[in-house]
Amino acid sequence: MVTELPWDEKTGSLRRDLSSGMVNPACKRALEAALQIKEKHGAFISVLTMGPPAAEEVLREAFAMGADRGILISDRMLAGSDTYATSFILAQAIQKEVSGYDLVLCGAYTSDSETAQVGPQLAEELNLPAAAYAENLTFSGRTLRVRRLVDNFRETLEMELPALVTISMENYEPRHTSFAGLDKAFQNADLLFRNAADLHITSSILDQHSSRTKVRKIFLRKSQKDNIIITGAAASAVDEFLDKFEGRIGAVIGKSIEAKKRG
Amino acid sequence: MIDFAASFFYMLPDLNAFTVFTGSNILQYNPSMKHKLIRNATRHFAEMELAPIAAEIDQQRIFPREILAKMKPLNYFGLQVPQRYGGANLDSISAAIVVEELSRICAAVGLCITVHNGVAVYPLLKFADSRQKETYLPLLASGHAIGAFSLTEANAGSDAGSVETTAVKNEESYILNGTKIFVTNGGVCDVALIFALTSLPDKKLQSSVFIVESKYPGFLRGEVEDLCGMRANPVSSLFFEDCAVPESNLLGKLGDGMKIGMATLDNGRLGVAAQALGIAQGAMEAAVKYAKERQQFKKPIASQQTIQNYIADMATEISAARLLLYRACELKDSGAAFGCEASMAKLYCSSVASRVTSLSVQIHGGYGYSKEYDVERYFRDARVTEIYEGTSEIQRMVIARTILSQPVL
Repeated sequence: MVTELPWDEKTGSLRRDLSSGMVNPACKRALEAALQIKEKHGAFISVLTMGPPAAEEVLREAFAMGADRGILISDRMLAGSDTYATSFILAQAIQKEVSGYDLVLCGAYTSDSETAQVGPQLAEELNLPAAAYAENLTFSGRTLRVRRLVDNFRETLEMELPALVTISMENYEPRHTSFAGLDKAFQNADLLFRNAADLHITSSILDQHSSRTKVRKIFLRKSQKDNIIITGAAASAVDEFLDKFEGRIGAVIGKSIEAKKRG
Repeated sequence: MIDFAASFFYMLPDLNAFTVFTGSNILQYNPSMKHKLIRNATRHFAEMELAPIAAEIDQQRIFPREILAKMKPLNYFGLQVPQRYGGANLDSISAAIVVEELSRICAAVGLCITVHNGVAVYPLLKFADSRQKETYLPLLASGHAIGAFSLTEANAGSDAGSVETTAVKNEESYILNGTKIFVTNGGVCDVALIFALTSLPDKKLQSSVFIVESKYPGFLRGEVEDLCGMRANPVSSLFFEDCAVPESNLLGKLGDGMKIGMATLDNGRLGVAAQALGIAQGAMEAAVKYAKERQQFKKPIASQQTIQNYIADMATEISAARLLLYRACELKDSGAAFGCEASMAKLYCSSVASRVTSLSVQIHGGYGYSKEYDVERYFRDARVTEIYEGTSEIQRMVIARTILSQPVL
């Protein structure tokens, strides 16, 4: 998907003139998660986005779905921000405009670059406990329990609020937007428009926190998958498999699976 | 935050509100952010919920109640009803966009929605008294009741003045007797607007309109018609056998039938135009996709100039049709007379739908003639848009009458 987008090869950024904006699919699921929390426990939902002025429509749509407030951060000065700069700016906006929050929900990744970095980096900026790629959230008191799916392993984590969670595409299928909601979103939506100066982000601050990365090339990696067929008796096939792959599997899941070899 | 589907997108800098996509799948006049979001929301719903069942409900003639139940809380049944009656209060272009996007995927559901909103709810909004509004608008806007509009009879179609159904005053009721045919939503409607002949105080016979609930004794339904297209919609006859309708359910004044009927048809024509436009759009997108995939003579047929000409003509006519329709919608919302423009939009959109679906079948070749492909359904569905809500011949009559009645400069 990423490589199908109209990238500007000179600047390494997206040709926004050749593409039409929409709510990032994973972010829409994060909003759905927030709406379900609101329905179950009560909540006030502020939706934040950074982008060109046309990104206002994203906030209108979020409002139509049930968000309570929208904040658009838009400034030419902030254009071309990488994930590091973006998370710094979002953190400034959250600290300034959303005081007393309990939970920050982000889409796990964007459909236009899929780095999945902004959420975790934002948690660092805000000094919050965080979990990425969440597929389910439950609460008991101020303890948040997060189930997540990483590398085909499911794990459950707990953390105290306030916290940050990024929502994956597994769950939280977004609700359909109602027309009455859309009508209201254009009549009395609580929308804030903020530029860099509003957030006290000056050019000297921005220099310190400016983008550390530059996109040089976008390309589709050639698949390197091979089918390996191991033949023989089951026990010896398992041993052979582990001999070949236990190191790599252990590295991926972060713990050793070194097995007792059969004699 | 990028819609990767719209890979060719031109924004005209001087006309911010006017966005033209020339991508493979989108051609839209996009006057505002709201219209864009309404289009996106409907398109998403239609692709998620209607696309998987559209072919089956057409072939089996199934009225998709479960899907409609999902549409009710999303305000599909109260598109232009004020919010205090439970509607979405949309402008007419938005309502047209909704019908267009539904029909792009499933014209039969588009038909149910446009008839309910355009010719059952609309005349109530325009002509009902406050009690009738309080009683019926919340029911209809929430979709708890499905509406129908019923003028056509065996001997009265284009000639709306020849209605033979009668309504005779009896104490505090009108007693209806007669038969209505080809009633869209007829098999499922809960509330129908019925045109019947009434006797005015001066003994003249003139038609009037009654709000008739299907639960009234003497309200009977015929078999669902086995039609060429729009087969998922339960089009049926309605029979009235000494059906007593409370006097308070007379819509407007006695003898207002023609006035209400004509105003309602003007509005209904916008809906049918939107429906035809959506069918044409769906058929063109299918043709473009197929033309790029289908290889003959070792190259995609889209590289053949003849096919390119077909596609260019389709895209041009669809764009023109869309502008004509949205202009009529704007005119309606401005409060101006829009009957002539509605007729133009209906005449043109429906003929574009027939041409585009026919070309789309042609581009698909033998496959286009098979029920395996959606264009076969689009081709059948398009045909009736040139017939109902006033035939193309009647639209030309309305347009010519308007033009000829203007003074020659």
